[in-house]
Amino acid sequence: MKKLLAILLTACMVLALTACAASNAPAAEAPKADAPAAETNAPATEDGKVYKVGICQLVQHVALDAATQGFMDRLTELLGEGNVTFDYQNASGDTATCGTIANAFVADDVDLIMANATAALQAAAAATADIPILGTSITEYGVAMDIKDFNGTVGGNISGTSDLAPLDVQAQMVKDWFPDAKNVGLLYCSAEANSQYQVDTVQKYLEDLGYTCKQYSFTDSNDMLAVTQTAADESDVMYVPTDNTLASGTGIIDPICQAAGVPVIAGEEGICDGCGVATLSISYYDLGVKTAEMAYDILTGAADISTMPIGYADKQTRKYNARICDALGITPLEGYEPIG
Amino acid sequence: MTSFFNALPGAVAQGLIWGIMAIGVYITYKLLDIADLTVDGSFCTGAATCVVLVMAGNSVWVGLLGAALAGALAGLATGFFHTKCGIPAILSGILTQLGLWSVNLAIMGMKANLPMNVNNYKLLVSLRYLQEVQKGTRPFYQHPIFVVCLLTLAIIAVLYWFFGTELGSSIRATGANGNMARAQGINTNFNKVLGLALSNALVALSGALLCQYNGAADINMGRGAIVIGLASIIIGDVVFGKLFRNFGLKLLAVSIGAIIYYIVIQFVISTLSINTNYMKLISSLIVAVFLAVPYWQQTYTHKKQKEGKVC
Repeated sequence: MKKLLAILLTACMVLALTACAASNAPAAEAPKADAPAAETNAPATEDGKVYKVGICQLVQHVALDAATQGFMDRLTELLGEGNVTFDYQNASGDTATCGTIANAFVADDVDLIMANATAALQAAAAATADIPILGTSITEYGVAMDIKDFNGTVGGNISGTSDLAPLDVQAQMVKDWFPDAKNVGLLYCSAEANSQYQVDTVQKYLEDLGYTCKQYSFTDSNDMLAVTQTAADESDVMYVPTDNTLASGTGIIDPICQAAGVPVIAGEEGICDGCGVATLSISYYDLGVKTAEMAYDILTGAADISTMPIGYADKQTRKYNARICDALGITPLEGYEPIG
Repeated sequence: MTSFFNALPGAVAQGLIWGIMAIGVYITYKLLDIADLTVDGSFCTGAATCVVLVMAGNSVWVGLLGAALAGALAGLATGFFHTKCGIPAILSGILTQLGLWSVNLAIMGMKANLPMNVNNYKLLVSLRYLQEVQKGTRPFYQHPIFVVCLLTLAIIAVLYWFFGTELGSSIRATGANGNMARAQGINTNFNKVLGLALSNALVALSGALLCQYNGAADINMGRGAIVIGLASIIIGDVVFGKLFRNFGLKLLAVSIGAIIYYIVIQFVISTLSINTNYMKLISSLIVAVFLAVPYWQQTYTHKKQKEGKVC
């Protein structure tokens, strides 16, 4: 028994020692390893280099998965099969794990980090000031990175794409569809930073258009039903942003809103498909594709990430949900195409 | 494998930070014999308080102190529910944890995520500093491992002293045998509240360090903290239980337990090409293995004794 313990302890000691050694050893190597990477980045186009790209995604989610897929598909296409390897890691919603993943990428000295969602970007940004980081599915970089007077370019080693569909256009959509409504309820999950930002912004636009707005926030899927019920009772129209929790709870929202006869304008297509009347849709897959194109320019040295402005989805599509329009007796407007 | 060794310092630093949280859990779980679930909420309370204070222009030390105080308040709330309202300890913790969700949001100005950009503030620890110390652009004494190590040792020293005083001993007596402690004229309710406050202050302090390290406070960040805390205690106990008899060393074992936990997690992420969707399953298996080891040890040694051998 004692022997077993002794072996176990020795193993731990060795581990602890190697931990110390490891923290010292790369101290000498790290600058060397960095320097050639920077040099090869500048002229290289087709030198046969295999690029290593780390992908850190915050949580398993349809939209985020699509963005990652779009990124991987397009970057493989651009660099050529076999010229790029992806290290895809998912933090399963745990923000602390994002830090562990970012730490692994930096230790592995990847050529580029793709951070999918806000917490992933923050962890990657905390981990390195050298390796280029591209964010995606992030709504507002100024908010996520704590930049005052954000001008559209993050600078340093960070850039990326935003999933924000223009909120002023969305507010105008409410006006187009429901000019006679008075009270607009804004429904979102208080755990999501992006939702809060969108709701606050769209509220300003809606109030400029003469609507009375009220925010309804729920903490998680448990109290979504009760909050939605209140919102449906007190509103003429509801607006929901690109909210992840909400996206998985449209099955709860739809029957409540239909019963109350309250139409919902949604921030993205997935939610609109579940419970909305109309939406201004962006494709997360396309967003990933756009991010990959930025990554290609950075890896080949065609562009400097520090001067790269944040990218937005190129095309937005106006869509409506035929099923719910029928149920509520609403005639779809011109210029909108049905979902599905 | 090399990438794993390169990533080790980061894993050790993160383990050390969680270790402070685990020491907090040790106080309630082992000393007071209470499974305190407040932890999942107060961890984020610490992070939120720290970020808000630092963003308002205070130094990180003020942030850490504020975080510890806020955590202590959370512990007081749980203590109040438990001792003054007669609610079972585990339920009191759950209630406080639930309520803290709203409190944490309120602290962060109704935002779910507040960034703490390392470029904007002078932070005590950051993932970034690991690289910068290695490259020599930052002096070694700002290395997160060094900083958190010092902090951990200081905390252990203070706790070692405190639990040797009359008050500290009475807290231990409360956990060891409440009835006997009461018979000795010890106010067990007061001690429980004090222990809970102290424990959650440490948990919040750990949260305050982690938000600096990871560059953001997030409303979800404390979720599952209690599991990591318990895992660290158990791992520390399994590995060092026979060796470390001294109270101070036992606290040290908890901290090392947290480090081992994070080294294993880092190993899984860096080396094994496992789909990270299995991360939670792996975490739970790690804890299960360390829980099972003492049991296996016991059955193993019992057999030996039956055979007449003493090991």
